[in-house]
Amino acid sequence: MHAEAALYEPPFPSDKPRRPGWLRRHGRETAALALLALLLFPFLWMVQLALRPAQDAFEPGLLFVPTLDAFHALWQDQFARSFGNSLLTSTLSTALALLIGVPAAYALTRWRFRARRHVALWILCTRMAPPIAFTIPFFLALRWAGLLDTVWGLTLIYLTFNLAIVIWLMQSFFAAIPAALEEAAWIDGCGVWSAFWHVTLPLTRPGLVSTAVLCFIFSWSDFFFALILTRTQAVTAPVAIVNFLQYDGWEWTKIAAAGTLVMLPVVAFTLLVRKYLVRGLTAGGVKD
Amino acid sequence: MQMPPALAPALPAGEAGRHFSLPSRAATPAPAPAAQPSWQRQQRRSYGWGLYPALIVLALITLAPLLTLVVVSLTPLSLTDPAGTFHFRDPLGNYRQLLNDPRFVHSLWVQFQLSSVGVTLQLLSGLGIALLLHGRSPVLGAVRSLFLIPMVLPPIVVALIWKILYTPDISPLHQALEALGWPLRSLIAHPDTALWAVVAADTWQWFPFTMLMVLAALQMIPDDPLEAARMDGANRWQLFRFIVFPHIRAVLLVCALFRLIDSFKAFPLLYVLTNGGPGTVTEVTNFYGFIQAFNFSFWGYGSAIALVMLAGVFALSALVSRLGRDGGDDAR
Amino acid sequence: MNFDTPGFPVYNQRTDLELSTKGSAYDVVNVTFIYSSRWINSGWLTPLDDFIANRNLTPAEFDINDFLAGARAPETGADGKLYGVPWTAEVTLAAASRFDVLKSAGLAFPDTLDDFSRAVQTAHRKERAAGFVTDNHYGWTFPPFLQAFGGDVFRKAPHDLYPTLDTPEAIAAADYFARLLRDFGPDGAVSYTADQSLQSLKSGRSNLGIQGQIYLSQLADKASSKVAATTAWGAVPRGPAGRFPGSAVHGLGIPVGSKNAPAAWQFIAWATSKQITQRAVAAGYGSPTRRSDMQSQVFAERQRVNGYDIARLSSDAIDLAAKQGHMKYRTVAVYPQIDQQINKAIELIVSGQKSAAAAMQQAQAGALAELKRSGIAV
Repeated sequence: MHAEAALYEPPFPSDKPRRPGWLRRHGRETAALALLALLLFPFLWMVQLALRPAQDAFEPGLLFVPTLDAFHALWQDQFARSFGNSLLTSTLSTALALLIGVPAAYALTRWRFRARRHVALWILCTRMAPPIAFTIPFFLALRWAGLLDTVWGLTLIYLTFNLAIVIWLMQSFFAAIPAALEEAAWIDGCGVWSAFWHVTLPLTRPGLVSTAVLCFIFSWSDFFFALILTRTQAVTAPVAIVNFLQYDGWEWTKIAAAGTLVMLPVVAFTLLVRKYLVRGLTAGGVKD
Repeated sequence: MQMPPALAPALPAGEAGRHFSLPSRAATPAPAPAAQPSWQRQQRRSYGWGLYPALIVLALITLAPLLTLVVVSLTPLSLTDPAGTFHFRDPLGNYRQLLNDPRFVHSLWVQFQLSSVGVTLQLLSGLGIALLLHGRSPVLGAVRSLFLIPMVLPPIVVALIWKILYTPDISPLHQALEALGWPLRSLIAHPDTALWAVVAADTWQWFPFTMLMVLAALQMIPDDPLEAARMDGANRWQLFRFIVFPHIRAVLLVCALFRLIDSFKAFPLLYVLTNGGPGTVTEVTNFYGFIQAFNFSFWGYGSAIALVMLAGVFALSALVSRLGRDGGDDAR
Repeated sequence: MNFDTPGFPVYNQRTDLELSTKGSAYDVVNVTFIYSSRWINSGWLTPLDDFIANRNLTPAEFDINDFLAGARAPETGADGKLYGVPWTAEVTLAAASRFDVLKSAGLAFPDTLDDFSRAVQTAHRKERAAGFVTDNHYGWTFPPFLQAFGGDVFRKAPHDLYPTLDTPEAIAAADYFARLLRDFGPDGAVSYTADQSLQSLKSGRSNLGIQGQIYLSQLADKASSKVAATTAWGAVPRGPAGRFPGSAVHGLGIPVGSKNAPAAWQFIAWATSKQITQRAVAAGYGSPTRRSDMQSQVFAERQRVNGYDIARLSSDAIDLAAKQGHMKYRTVAVYPQIDQQINKAIELIVSGQKSAAAAMQQAQAGALAELKRSGIAV
């Protein structure tokens, strides 16, 4: 971690001979924290809503006795199950999308065949699949295949939007790596894919991790497909939250508590992998 | 497989780092000097192995539903009488109806406004915040992850939070503004401001997408050109314009494309905040299609709307990606 | 047995989809009022008469006739067979969360439309409360006013489905209703869902309200309502044409694709048996459909608050609906589209985009187009 930090240099360093004032040195961080507080205000307000007793949900005052009632109620509501389903589905679909999509993105970048642009555009189109209109065919197909209300069925359907993201995003990252690097490896006898694995992929680690995070997020927050294609077994967290919009009243504290919980794994995951979001070992570049 | 010895010394930073060549159009892969024709064939086959699985999977899960969509849009299928309404007596009936449907035409205009303004705002704010956060510091490192929160919340929760924030009686924002002496009327209840209120909530939710991608791209910019330019006396703006921006251009384009496509699918915010209203001022095409298909059970008509939308998004994406390509430095 | 209770809009989408594709994922479904005609008359539910008559499955004391006729009517198909057993009957009532304010101004609980608007005007801005609030599903909350003014949705549902949304009475009703919301409602009232409307009343931020009794009865709940001590309830206002409280009935039915119909019926028979409904009423359930429950002592006691008899108000409303038949518009198969038109029309008037006349005329044109599209000759 320290080695990486030493190799890392921000693009606009202020390396003046005299030590600049505190604000100058920490201006960026201060601004970032201030902006964070401002932008995250709606979220913070939701968290405090989760800690309020149910009847005081919208009291104007800022003072209240925090309580974990909402979280308890969630647990009893079997929210844990839908939470687990979300976790499973998102992880599986991210892994699958990366597995299939990253090699495809690489091939699309390096292999200059004639129909390249058209294929790339068509792949982009698959993301345009309007959930509204595609749900009925998916519903009927999954029902016929016996995959309705299963984690695998949902994972398969999530590939519709995740594959396109992986392919297009990774394409833009692979394109930034000069082919000269791989050619050097080929000269030395590496095959296409082993050069890819040993040379190209490590260089695009920030891009890869970011894409994985995004895939995870998109699968995690999908609502429409989960609504139509699950019943009770594979129901995911976003759909479970709608259950708190009861006929006779919306359970706001539970909604807020669920929102807080649902957000935690992804943010935790991102915090964990944040060092991989930083540039990898080959900061120096390439010798021609 | 072991790293070939010739490659090992080239990788770590050091003297080698100074001789960096920018990725440019010149970097089209030329066959290695010792290439034989079979290498090219082998190469092509290898690439094929990488590409075909993805294409097959995509074809399976998108072509079949697409076909269904096209077929259904040629019928007046209504779920209240599936057997009786599944016929092809008037294949273009739905499309004719679309042309004469003022509500549909209006929804296109609303969609245009939402997409154009929304995507622009998301790109700009994501870019700006990414540039701000691109620095060496443990604080910034952690803050970067926290900024992802709006995108990570389930869309339905985001919609519900903003619904409260936009309800004057219980919203802390409105109450704070009122305490400061600037009372604000309900934004989602007024036709002039409803759409922009939705755009604001949408931007809040999705700016992290651009931010995350731009940050990753910024990380991948090599140091040497920046070093060199700085030593030549370039200021920040010049650094950005001539070195940084070309590098992140490709990623920005992809972000724009994806946000554009997703903006056509926008649903939870509209459903919870305004339900397409008041009246139809926030009724985008996707929402209108939803109402037709799910509330009225007119699947044929809903499918026709979806197809028209698909065609529009396709054309738009082709246009945007071509603009990006022709516009200059393209490493592809 | 798997018992699943998703949120209401989720439930409706799912069930509609499942039934229309004749799926077998569910054995028992809630027959939602607004969809009951569609689901029943499209042949998506199993007729229950044979099950009821079968003494092996249904004990004699189940007594299908104990269920109010007015509650059984919407569950009956055009062929006269029963497709659902009603378990809840909901009506629209009126309530004043801060009746003390009205009383100190010398007003009684409003009875006529004129009384109502006078009460709303008096209550507005007193004690920092808005005068009036209701939820934005106007296709449900507006018809009581529409019909009180002498208008109606259709000319004579369910036989004559010519819409009558642009008659002078309809326009006058729309104008009256929208004015209540626009001038005396809380800021942003047009975006208020049923839950928000209830919260507004419960916290005393709005005074008078017209909503389903399943919501308004919660105003009496001391644990969550600030106004439990000051609330008064009454019937919806009476107009020149009479009083027309909205009423909705939900029932339990068996999808036609179910593979366990006898077992499903056993569940329904148990859930709606006298023992179970009596227990529910004793626990505070406020919307029973059995006459025996509605007339029971227990029910009357549980539903008497602040000297107001909510039970009586509800049962009067249901009887009125059965007698006058004014809810027949709602179970017409094409009503969801008309519901949309009404929603949009009132929204347009409240948000100032169109005048009452223009909006209702647009709704009328839209309704005619929808009917034509559904192949209904008018």
